Amino acid sequence: MPTRRKIDVGYLARVEGETAIEVRVPAPRGGETVRLRIFEPPRFFEGFLVGRRYDEVGDIVSRICGICPVSHMLTAIRALENAMGIEPSEQTRRLRLIETTSQVAASHLVHLYALVMPDHLSLAGFPEMLPAHGEHVARLLRMREAVNDLTALVGGGRPLHPIGTVVGGFTRVPPAAELAGARERLIAIRPDARELVRTVARFQTPQLERDREFVALRPAERYSDNVGIVASTAGLAVAESEYRTAIGEEQVPYAMTKRATLRGRGAMMVGALARMNLNADRLSAPARDAAGEAGLALPDRNPFHNNLAQAVEVVQAVEDCIELLEGLSPRPERPAVQPAAGEGAAATEAPRGLLYHSYAVNRKGVVERADIATPTVHNFLSMEEDLRALVALLEDRPAAEIRLACEMLVRAYDPCFSCSVH
Amino acid sequence: MKKPRLGIFKYSCCAGCQFQLIFFQRKVAELLGAVEVVYGRMETDAGTPEGPFDLALIEGTITESWQADELKHVRNVSGFLVPIGSCATNGGIPAIKNLVNEREVEARVYRDLSTVHSVRASPVDHYVRVDAYARGCPVGEAEVLEVVSGLLLGRRPDTAAYAVCVECKMRGNTCVLVSDNLPCMGPVTNAGCGALCPSNGRACYACWGPMEKPNAPALARQFRLMGQPPDEIARRFSEFGYPTHEFQPGVELYRE
Repeated sequence: MPTRRKIDVGYLARVEGETAIEVRVPAPRGGETVRLRIFEPPRFFEGFLVGRRYDEVGDIVSRICGICPVSHMLTAIRALENAMGIEPSEQTRRLRLIETTSQVAASHLVHLYALVMPDHLSLAGFPEMLPAHGEHVARLLRMREAVNDLTALVGGGRPLHPIGTVVGGFTRVPPAAELAGARERLIAIRPDARELVRTVARFQTPQLERDREFVALRPAERYSDNVGIVASTAGLAVAESEYRTAIGEEQVPYAMTKRATLRGRGAMMVGALARMNLNADRLSAPARDAAGEAGLALPDRNPFHNNLAQAVEVVQAVEDCIELLEGLSPRPERPAVQPAAGEGAAATEAPRGLLYHSYAVNRKGVVERADIATPTVHNFLSMEEDLRALVALLEDRPAAEIRLACEMLVRAYDPCFSCSVH
Repeated sequence: MKKPRLGIFKYSCCAGCQFQLIFFQRKVAELLGAVEVVYGRMETDAGTPEGPFDLALIEGTITESWQADELKHVRNVSGFLVPIGSCATNGGIPAIKNLVNEREVEARVYRDLSTVHSVRASPVDHYVRVDAYARGCPVGEAEVLEVVSGLLLGRRPDTAAYAVCVECKMRGNTCVLVSDNLPCMGPVTNAGCGALCPSNGRACYACWGPMEKPNAPALARQFRLMGQPPDEIARRFSEFGYPTHEFQPGVELYRE
């Protein structure tokens, strides 16, 4: 008979958005031992996007997330371009990839340093890190300066809710000299990125090995791109336009986050670890070295190692941006858009994993239907299943230890509950 | 000197204003070093929402009644209370739903509406008295620093109280409304962004929300003269700050 447990984390700290964790051993009648009770209020983007025009959708959905705004913006823009039959230029695609890749690095940085690291320094939070762990904070600030400035330079004006990224392309392209300067600053933070991997590799985490399907985009050539096949470690391979044939979602009574499943197959995990498990063959040499030095053996089935995968992805993102910026001298292009009726979908890799947007628009380009599924929607069931496995694994441990391990597990997924109740 | 006690509260929003505080703006170490973060769940596990706080910063729109209850409590235990960002200062993007019947907007997203507790989206000053506004989407870097340092030094924060047009003139921009016939919201939108959109070849979309006493109907009529369709004019005035009396006339004038 397992020890009786009743653990309530009322408002989980250091994650994006609002959730509670409830542990009950034995499981209540008709229930489960663990529930992720996401109490963040619903936000109804899919409801109020109906009636809005194509040229404001990017700016609106950017506000789904305060740390991956570019991902929402560009996924929506690509879905709308697919709906209206617009083909962006090669130059636009390259600039967009720089914009999303720099944002992936930024998102991983704030997550690893501000939200995760305090657990491993036995501190309550990020402000508490400031006096005693200045070297970590200084490294974070150096790296964030380089990546955020690049997102702003390409995306337009600011890294958070940039203003130049529109259907068809960009309102203004950055001058070659500024892009070259940004590239130099990325080269300067290479040692910082490698040091981050070493730091995260020292984090002590439970051995929670568990089979599950990892899902990520498989691009045609690169490690990551804004377009690819929706693929899994169990052989799933569908085009973004066929996403809904493979992945469904349902409402649960205790959260306004819908819970996605692979149709007929169950839970999936998306995010940095999933990308690395699927696309390890595409990693750059420095990222492969960093992963090897950190002891990340792929494929890896421990969800706690998502953080290590994120650290390696910071190295990868810096290398990718350095490569994409090389010799880049964009010519002025004005996005020309002719609205047309149609339906279109797009899937991209947000920092936290697979992100899907789909729209139907009328001949004026006004939205008639919107469908959005975020990384945390995809991870919801997997997080709950992992929490159950973790509680079982730590059965004999003190309640305080189980509680902290549960909190750290949810944080390791880098959830965004604000996005999840879009 | 004892550091001022800071509380950070999040309601319905993207949390971007909190990310601005701890990650994006260039004075992260200075700001967090100058205060004691007593409560802020995204920043720290320590502390409780009980206070007391010298300064409470509020991000997000109020869209459920428990948020209003908590907000009133925070007001009671805080010396200063300041909404940060468009959601908290003017309703922001979450308030677009106010244009649609509540049941309709809920039913487009959820099958079982019995667990949905949403109410009309409202800015913070709809429920409590506020001591200043820190505008922007995300909240402006200068706004945050000015509001925090001003209040803590005991002087009135001095933030821009004029239209984006003024910033365009200061930058020497060509007017995109006059020269490019773009439906620019700059004439009615509060400054602070540095005229970001007109400086980058597009029309302002009002993400900082309405300035004080704008002439919304005059701009709406100008848009009509420029050939903008009525439904598009309503959209321009309702993307940010629809619950505000400043932008409402711009929405209502041509709304079908």
